[in-house]
Amino acid sequence: MTYSGMKKKNNHGPFVMDERNKLIAYKIIAIMYFLTILAILGIILYRQFGLRQEISEFEDIAIVLTVNELFLISALLYFGVIPIQKIRIRNLLIIYAVIVVLGSLFTYYKYNIFESPGLSFDQLINKLLIIIVITGLIILFFVIFSILGKHRMEKELGEE
Amino acid sequence: MDNKRLKVARIEKGYSQQDLADQIGVTRQTIGLIEKGKYNPTLNLCINIATTLDKTLNDLFWDEEKK
Repeated sequence: MTYSGMKKKNNHGPFVMDERNKLIAYKIIAIMYFLTILAILGIILYRQFGLRQEISEFEDIAIVLTVNELFLISALLYFGVIPIQKIRIRNLLIIYAVIVVLGSLFTYYKYNIFESPGLSFDQLINKLLIIIVITGLIILFFVIFSILGKHRMEKELGEE
Repeated sequence: MDNKRLKVARIEKGYSQQDLADQIGVTRQTIGLIEKGKYNPTLNLCINIATTLDKTLNDLFWDEEKK
């Protein structure tokens, strides 16, 4: 059925991506991304604890996963998906301490309980120093992106 | 819940779902799902539909019973 005043044809080609298609596509992509990340994490843990491989044997996968997650969380912070209203030093320190403690426990478990012989005290301290520094850098990275995101949003709001 | 007002307005205008979809640049399925009340369109799409059908947003999307 056509309307006399309606002569406009669909110029969108055979594949019309409207808001509903996009919404569904984004949801599917997000779920598949999440499952892929989980699978990669599973592979890393299996190689580490199941096959007892050296880190050097799967560090490429670990680097891809780490960089991916770093930029994912940074992007979520930058575009305001993670709604941080105010960056509080106390909260940052708590998050930092929790990550350091969990990382240290994981390292201790991995080297001194799961593997034998375990690390010497000096080696363990060296590992813990790495965890402390790397965690600090990661938190700093996230804080910078949060601040940049807030500035971006303020700039957008200020353009009115 | 079905959006009968949208369906009536579209038919009054002499449009099929495909015609309306073509006018707005969405798929026929999207129009069908909006009419069936199974998809909540964005405000932009609501405005596009209302403009194309020469109706107001209230005419098509405002539910007096829910007020």
